[in-house]
Amino acid sequence: MMKRNNILIAFVITAFGVLYACKDNFLDITPQGSLDENVLANAEGIDGLLIGAYAMLDGTSNQGFGWQAASSNWVFASIRGMVGNKGTDSGDQPDINPIQTFSESATNPYINIKWRSEYEAISRCNNVILVTQKALAAGTISQAEADKFIEQARVLRGWFHYEAWRMWAGMIPYVDETTDPQTVTNTADVRQNIIDDLTEGTKLDNDMGQIGRFNKTVSEVLLAKAMMQMNGDYAGALTLLRDVVANGTKPDGGAIGLSPTYGDIFSIAERNGIESIYTVQYSVNDGSGGWNGGWGEVLNFPYKSGASPGGCCGFFQPTQEFVNSFRTDGTGLPLLDNSYNNNPVLNDEGLTPSDNSYVEDPGPLDPRLDWTVGRRGIPYLDWGDHTGSDWIRDQSYAGPFSPKKQVYRLSEQGATTEVGSWTSGWTANGYRLIRYADVLLLIAECEIETGADDMGLGEINQVRSRAANSAGFVKEADGVTDAANYQISTYPSAGWDQAKARLAVRMERKLELGMEGHRWFDLNRWGITQTELSRVLAYEKTQPWGNSMYGNATVGPEDVSYPIPQRQIDLSNGNLVQDR
Amino acid sequence: MRKSVLFCVALLTLAFGINAQAQTVSGKVTSSGDNSGLPGVNVLIKGTTTGVVTDIDGNYRIQASSSDVLVFSYVGYLTQELPVGNQSVINVSMESDVETLGEIVVTGYASQQKKDLTGSVGVVEPKELVAQPTGNVTSQLQGRVSGVTVTGSGQPGAGSKVRIRGISSFSNNDPLYVVDGVPTFDASTLNPNDIESISILKDAGSASIYGSRATNGVIVVTTKKGKKGGVKLNYNSYVGTQDPGNGPKGLLDTQGYADLQFLVYNNDGTNEVHPIYGPSPAAGGTSPQLPSWAANTDWYDVFTDAAAITNHDLTLSGGNDHARFFGGFGWFRQNGIVKHTYTQRFNLRFNSDFTVANDRLKFGENLTVSRRNGNGVTNLAEGSPIQMGSYRTQPIIPPIITTPITGIFHNFVLGEFGGTGIAPRLGNGDNVLATLTRDKDDTNFDIRILGSAYMDVKIIDGLNFRTTFGGTMANNYWTNWTSKTYESAENVGTSSFSEGANYNNDWVWTNTLTFNKQIGADHNILAVVGYESVKTGIGRNVFGARAGYFSDAVSFRTLGNGATIQDTNSGSNTPSTLVSQFVRADYSFRNKYLLSATFRRDGSSKFASDTRYGTFPSVTAGWRIGDEAFMSGLTFVSDLKIRGGYGTMGNQLPASPINQFTLFGGSPSTSNYDINGTGTSSAQGFRPTSIGNTAGQWETQKYTNIGFDAGLLDNKFQVTFDWYHRTTDRLLVAPELPGTAGAASPPAQNIGSMKNTGIDAQVIYKNQWGDFGFEGNLTFTTYNNEITKVFTGTNFFDAGGSRIGSFSRNQVGQPMGSFFGYQVMGLFQSASEVSGAPTQDGAEAGFFRFQDTNGDGAITPDDRTFIGNPNPDFTFGLNLSLTYKNFDITTFLYSSQGNDIFNWNLWWVDFWPSFQGQKSTNLLNNSWTPSNTGATTPKASNTSNFSTNTQSTSYYIEDGSFIRMKNLQIGYSLPQNLLNSMGFTSFRVYLQGVNLFTITDYTGLDPELTGPDSNFGIDRGNYPNVKQYLIGVNIGI
Repeated sequence: MMKRNNILIAFVITAFGVLYACKDNFLDITPQGSLDENVLANAEGIDGLLIGAYAMLDGTSNQGFGWQAASSNWVFASIRGMVGNKGTDSGDQPDINPIQTFSESATNPYINIKWRSEYEAISRCNNVILVTQKALAAGTISQAEADKFIEQARVLRGWFHYEAWRMWAGMIPYVDETTDPQTVTNTADVRQNIIDDLTEGTKLDNDMGQIGRFNKTVSEVLLAKAMMQMNGDYAGALTLLRDVVANGTKPDGGAIGLSPTYGDIFSIAERNGIESIYTVQYSVNDGSGGWNGGWGEVLNFPYKSGASPGGCCGFFQPTQEFVNSFRTDGTGLPLLDNSYNNNPVLNDEGLTPSDNSYVEDPGPLDPRLDWTVGRRGIPYLDWGDHTGSDWIRDQSYAGPFSPKKQVYRLSEQGATTEVGSWTSGWTANGYRLIRYADVLLLIAECEIETGADDMGLGEINQVRSRAANSAGFVKEADGVTDAANYQISTYPSAGWDQAKARLAVRMERKLELGMEGHRWFDLNRWGITQTELSRVLAYEKTQPWGNSMYGNATVGPEDVSYPIPQRQIDLSNGNLVQDR
Repeated sequence: MRKSVLFCVALLTLAFGINAQAQTVSGKVTSSGDNSGLPGVNVLIKGTTTGVVTDIDGNYRIQASSSDVLVFSYVGYLTQELPVGNQSVINVSMESDVETLGEIVVTGYASQQKKDLTGSVGVVEPKELVAQPTGNVTSQLQGRVSGVTVTGSGQPGAGSKVRIRGISSFSNNDPLYVVDGVPTFDASTLNPNDIESISILKDAGSASIYGSRATNGVIVVTTKKGKKGGVKLNYNSYVGTQDPGNGPKGLLDTQGYADLQFLVYNNDGTNEVHPIYGPSPAAGGTSPQLPSWAANTDWYDVFTDAAAITNHDLTLSGGNDHARFFGGFGWFRQNGIVKHTYTQRFNLRFNSDFTVANDRLKFGENLTVSRRNGNGVTNLAEGSPIQMGSYRTQPIIPPIITTPITGIFHNFVLGEFGGTGIAPRLGNGDNVLATLTRDKDDTNFDIRILGSAYMDVKIIDGLNFRTTFGGTMANNYWTNWTSKTYESAENVGTSSFSEGANYNNDWVWTNTLTFNKQIGADHNILAVVGYESVKTGIGRNVFGARAGYFSDAVSFRTLGNGATIQDTNSGSNTPSTLVSQFVRADYSFRNKYLLSATFRRDGSSKFASDTRYGTFPSVTAGWRIGDEAFMSGLTFVSDLKIRGGYGTMGNQLPASPINQFTLFGGSPSTSNYDINGTGTSSAQGFRPTSIGNTAGQWETQKYTNIGFDAGLLDNKFQVTFDWYHRTTDRLLVAPELPGTAGAASPPAQNIGSMKNTGIDAQVIYKNQWGDFGFEGNLTFTTYNNEITKVFTGTNFFDAGGSRIGSFSRNQVGQPMGSFFGYQVMGLFQSASEVSGAPTQDGAEAGFFRFQDTNGDGAITPDDRTFIGNPNPDFTFGLNLSLTYKNFDITTFLYSSQGNDIFNWNLWWVDFWPSFQGQKSTNLLNNSWTPSNTGATTPKASNTSNFSTNTQSTSYYIEDGSFIRMKNLQIGYSLPQNLLNSMGFTSFRVYLQGVNLFTITDYTGLDPELTGPDSNFGIDRGNYPNVKQYLIGVNIGI
């Protein structure tokens, strides 16, 4: 009996002993399905991290950065700049309403998400630099490889910081690979840091081998934009931009120039066409569930019940004032004194589609209007005629117009749009971050501000001449007849002084680049935000939908920037301060 | 050994036979519960070792003298002593011991008599557990134990949220279930009918033996075992129906909706031609016109239906001295009141126990296999059928086309689904009936095996070694079809299909040495030393999705048949491991002075090697003051014990298994980029996915509990009362990092702290008056939760996001889940009131006037304040049962008082611009107009701004208090003589009604609603708990 007890006790002790001996290994767990820094510290790994940084160019990611963070800035620049309004119906995305009525608070989630998106992008760039340094130290990559990675990472980092700078009027933290993100402040002047980062990109080759990378040309344009916006450095920018025109290429080495016709610029097939200097690359049906397919702009399609291009959701409707801007005078020139509002473009507000009392506007119009705005009676790409209020979610709320530039063609549906979800509005129609006409107009602006050359006349007329190519006018179903009374001409050199040139280039950017995410930033650069938007607001309020859109809104001097997100101030432990 | 005992017995019997006035006494021992014969009862002559055991029918025969006293004893029954006298037949009815203070309670790694407990332990009786006809044991705990708060919806098969004494962590407050020694956080696959006992270990004194995972309380579940005696068969069954009742009150019909549009037109002065109702008044219209296809649909009625519920349980059990078994089969099926939804569960159980080697060695196993399948809907979510159907679909839309509609993008013919696409301005909701019909063939099933095997060795008397190995194996398989649609404003263009599977396993190995000894008359010691290792979260998953299906046929739904690949994916879980050593010692002196101490040391793989161990001691003491001589004068006190204790417990659940690692990864949706400009493919990219914290360690909870147990008036009244105070420090919180740190997942860090205090009380009253028996059981629960620290930089985090932002703010000084927003002071009555009031964006007559909380003359986000609290002041459960002869009647009432509900549904129906869905009669008839200035609902207007529907405001807060009759049951048991002639041991039939009435002021579908701890009590369309009518039978053979 005792013997058996001894055996049992020995067994118990042994069992405990075995367990005790192996316990430390037992508590060491290997994470599944992830990588650590060491695995990535080589050329392929770093390039993967770099692609991850490029992936933030569209602003969106399945980490909580949706349409609020869209790189096209349709809310922050286009709606805020009053070329479009929120559109859709009044209860949808109510956080846009205060942005368009210049009354957003620091707690507005759109602003916080935009902020977080920019700094996530910056964080990715910094990780590229850190791992590159690690790989270089370990000898797994060459100095030349390291330079190429770091130059790309830095120009990207500069761009994301610049984007933040122009959102928050410079009151932003600059975060590089050595910064403690928990204690960084937003009171330092970070312009030189941004310039330095962007300048790093100008050391890159022009031919980077792939269309999606930043190259020397892209870096030069971005640097020039930053110099103009932040420092008013038009002379410095002019040098860079002239080099772009003279020697620039696409990132894959391809030629750049003006697209022969205006409308072609916005088709999916032409997203990387000659006009594009850099297009944020969107891809569909790639396993991302739409997140790489322009998630940021997915709401911005007409709302034809049951059969819309895109399928959803009726946001981003052009304003009447913006539409009126396309009115030309008898000679085909825009009305630089804003008198176009005295002869507004006719619309179908308040009419049902079957109401035949609608009269299409007979007056002279810039042909770019009908590539920019969907309106009743005009063919809407290859979707047939826009038939009016049945394409609009709630005409009484947001007016009669639809957005158009980003919308895909019926013939493209399925092939270059996302398949199998609640909308086909995820498309491969990448955001044209820099297009050639933008560069020409920037050159014009630099020339005007510095009094150089012909003060932009040539560049502006180059852009207008392209728009005047009647092969590129929107045609009726017969393919021959112009859809409206298009009249456009180039400016004569007579009377072209700085004052007029300034008005002309500002109008030209509105017409040429309308709804493309520039307007509010442009107004800030020109320093006319409050006066110009107050004027537009006063007019827009007179429209039938003006009260529901704008109520008692007013534009104040503080509306040249957005508030620092309150949540970020709260989380910063007092390191971030409000800018206004 | 046995031979010698028999020899002695024989010898003694012989001796008595010769020397005393011996006589033969015989009789039958029965159970008072069902009058069945009790086999295996010890019948002993008092003061001797002479005894016999009853046979399979409960009969015995013993030689005894007239001066002897017979002692009848049997585990689980009260021991009886009867003098022999001159009787030759002594029949005994044994009283069950289960409901008295002598009850055996399963606690941490041991069993104790309830009278010896020093910690706070609640017990649920199995019959109470099965009183509610649901398939999930978690919902059956509601109201049955004080200190336990259970909230859930009426969704079939859905588990309920169980919270023991409040909320102690920001992220994970689920109690630990220990099922036959196997720890698990998922008790949903258990068949309630298989459960023998449930003990709820509430305080540190009782639970800290489970150390690492005990902070949220421990629920110890023991399943039924076979008993010695013949083979017994039990069959329990019920069938019934569930009545969906009426939909939400106060919604408009078609004409009312049209009238409301015109009211909005009048209020806003809009000049337009409505695509359905014609010209607005400003455009010359006088009244709305209705089209020929206009329906008048009660959508709740369309998507709900009476639903069947069925349960069958068959068990077979039995055993002898050496082997016992319990086998069970269960089938439960509950259809949802939402059409085409159901849950179904099959259970197989086999428990067995064996004793060999002269009782020195015992081994056995407990095993349950469950297969569940079902087709459910999301609940409390925008887009759920409850919300979409009830609140987001206009009555004018026909669910099925009865009047053809042509001339638009789709020709709607008879019998097709109607929807928001048949005309403009019908909103963007789905036809819920269409969605449910199309989704009905989705597959979702899981098979879960939960079990354990043990071996118990008696080393010497009083010292046992026990080893238990157990675990779970779960496999899940699902398919999901999303059909293309034609009827909606926002149609799905192509059908898509996804399919996936996963497995998830875990195991635990426990080894204990138990010492249990009575030393002398005064000292009783129970000591347990143990070692345990656990591995959880071992699993992988795989799924794919494709789109572009040529046919809708169910038989065509394979991944291969889809034209476009949407996703192909798999994942691998990072498991986590624990090793633990623990000691427990209970000492009682003279059965009056009780002392218990536990100590546990845990190591977790979630923490780095320097910080992975935590130690969790506790001490409790009790004084059975009622047994003291000086109490003997208080005759109404039958029993009184004062007890209290202090201890610590740990928690590591909020930390993820990878908490200590900084990691990179990538996925198409987060980091890929089309660097080559293909338009249809993207290159793989990487990003930082998680930031590691190598300093993480255990959350620690300090717990004080003081209470008493009293039996009054011959134990007819039993009162249990506990007061507790617990603080949790070093709460693991994954703090939101500043945006400048990037978006990689932050690690959990030991930052927060929280406090809970409260009282639990239970009063039981039992009495018998002749044929009448009565029992009442009241449980009462309160908790007061207060956050004492959140992050280092900021003192709150928001939760409960919606289209208009967050509703809940978790802030220092407030309880978890508090509602946060603007306090509505009323409505502006005039433009002059607006101009005299603090500046408020969008203010105009008829819109909300908010409180200027900080008095700075402007309404800004700083004026937001706490506007409601979803935590109840108290909850109670009252169970009353009455028996008369063979009849029994039982009712159970449950109540939650003082909890607020954020009625998000009001946003959809009380504000015109909140999408073009269903609207309320309140908005049409009671909203503000210049002539209806007493209104509380703002002016019907298409304006959506700060002063209308874009903010979280107190307008949505309602009192969620309710009292509900959860159960009413009337049963009849066949009398014994009839049973005998039919060969049954028991036969009972009953009628049952569930949720027969609810008293509440809440205007939504159902005030009983749940949600995550950081944002609960928000009604986003709640699957209601509906009335059920059942008939059932309990048969024993």
